Amino acid sequence: MNSDADERALRIDALAKTFGGKQPVMVFEGLSLDVRAGEFLSIVGPSGCGKSTLLQVVAGLLPASGGRVLLGGRDVTGAPAHMVYLFQQYSKSLLPWMTVEDNVIFAFNHRLHLGAREARERSREHLAMVGLQESASAYPWQLSGGMQQRVAIARALSADPKVLLMDEPFSSVDALTRMELHALISELWERKRFTTVLVTHDVDEAIFLADRVAVLSRRPATIAELVATELSRPRRAVETYEDPRFLALRHRLLERLLRKPEELDAAPR
Amino acid sequence: MQRLAKRWTDLVPGALFLLAILALIEFAARTGLVNAAVVPPPTTVALVFAHIVTTGVFVVPVLQTLGTLFTGYAAGCVAGIACGVLMGSFRAAYNLFEPLTEMVRPIPKPALLPALMLFLGLGSTMKITLVALAAFFPVLVSTVQGTRGVDVTMIDMARTFGYGPAQILWKIVLPAAAPYFAVGMRVSLGISLVVIVVAEMLTTNGGVGGALIEMQQQFQVRQTYGWLVVLALIGFGLNALFAWAERRLTFWSAAS
Repeated sequence: MNSDADERALRIDALAKTFGGKQPVMVFEGLSLDVRAGEFLSIVGPSGCGKSTLLQVVAGLLPASGGRVLLGGRDVTGAPAHMVYLFQQYSKSLLPWMTVEDNVIFAFNHRLHLGAREARERSREHLAMVGLQESASAYPWQLSGGMQQRVAIARALSADPKVLLMDEPFSSVDALTRMELHALISELWERKRFTTVLVTHDVDEAIFLADRVAVLSRRPATIAELVATELSRPRRAVETYEDPRFLALRHRLLERLLRKPEELDAAPR
Repeated sequence: MQRLAKRWTDLVPGALFLLAILALIEFAARTGLVNAAVVPPPTTVALVFAHIVTTGVFVVPVLQTLGTLFTGYAAGCVAGIACGVLMGSFRAAYNLFEPLTEMVRPIPKPALLPALMLFLGLGSTMKITLVALAAFFPVLVSTVQGTRGVDVTMIDMARTFGYGPAQILWKIVLPAAAPYFAVGMRVSLGISLVVIVVAEMLTTNGGVGGALIEMQQQFQVRQTYGWLVVLALIGFGLNALFAWAERRLTFWSAAS
């Protein structure tokens, strides 16, 4: 495939994950998905369907039981450089003994080895992108939840990601903050065009941000549906949510997700 | 919720109570309600203590005690943290060492004195070894707990940014578990002080404990109490120093 040549293209090929033990749990099997270079793709699915596990396998945090993950045509082993993960639990992914600025520096300076001043400048530059230049010398626990997640976003971007994996990063902030963060990530993505995979249980969020939305089936999960949103950009909190196309997609995906398990399994591809 | 910051007025009742107790003892000793030869009046003890301080006789025993204490304590803490991180990080290491530590840990460490005296004599090597043993186990236990408790999200975060196992140990696990090291070290400090004084008393060989038992054996009751005050102040000072250092070094743990 041509897009494989682009190092931002992410290909998930017949991926399988089974958790061992006395009663092995097959989380997903034969799961294939092509994420195009520079694309924003959302993955939604019923809770417990293995969305987060999928993302962790893609990120190299968990070993796959079968199949492959390819980044720019090359096999992903371990945690690849330039693939950055945004965690749901920002309060646990930020280091409490470091200032906000040092938390950001942590993401890049083991690779870039900049001097103290340049590292600081790079850190502040990325904090400015998320509107937090004022909080550079604060500690994460002194900030609100939304601000902490913005620090995590600044940290992720400072590592210069080609692929950004987001594991329900907006699910533990309040509704208005969530919409602000949507606007922020959308704007940053449009500026940088890193390939993005967002895992979420929030259909509105999935459609609002993405170029395409993939729906996972119940366990063992496969891609049940893959739709292009075809909404105009830039996305705007008020207008996009009222777009008839948005509402139609929302209707379709919610209906699919709320269907009973037996109906879902019987549904044609 | 109780306020954490104390106002000076909060200190008044406790101080008055303390003074009242001292006044009561003073009264009882002076009036003969208790035998003043066994329980000397606090004012007399205060004078003896002042004598110990002003003549400088405290310097050598206190330095001996603190020197032995710190050497043994530092060795015990370093070994406890090293073994604890190892056992907390690797299941194999835990399974290997856990039965041994569970056997040795419950032994009251002063009970090891007779055996250690046979091996190492009465000198400072024996005392340092005993203090190190006493300090080791509390630090080990809370380090294992702290190392295991490091949030997997923090470690995964570092992995996704390309940090290797050694870097993760150094930059994530050690700082994240540091508040637990401190908990163990605080317990160990108290035990170490007990153990060093017991060792000095049993060997009657230097240090504040040695001075204490020497005075008691010479029926110098007032002197005995005077040295007790010296010990109390050492304990108080060490605790205050520790609390100060802990606040500075693990400042995020109380706040977050």
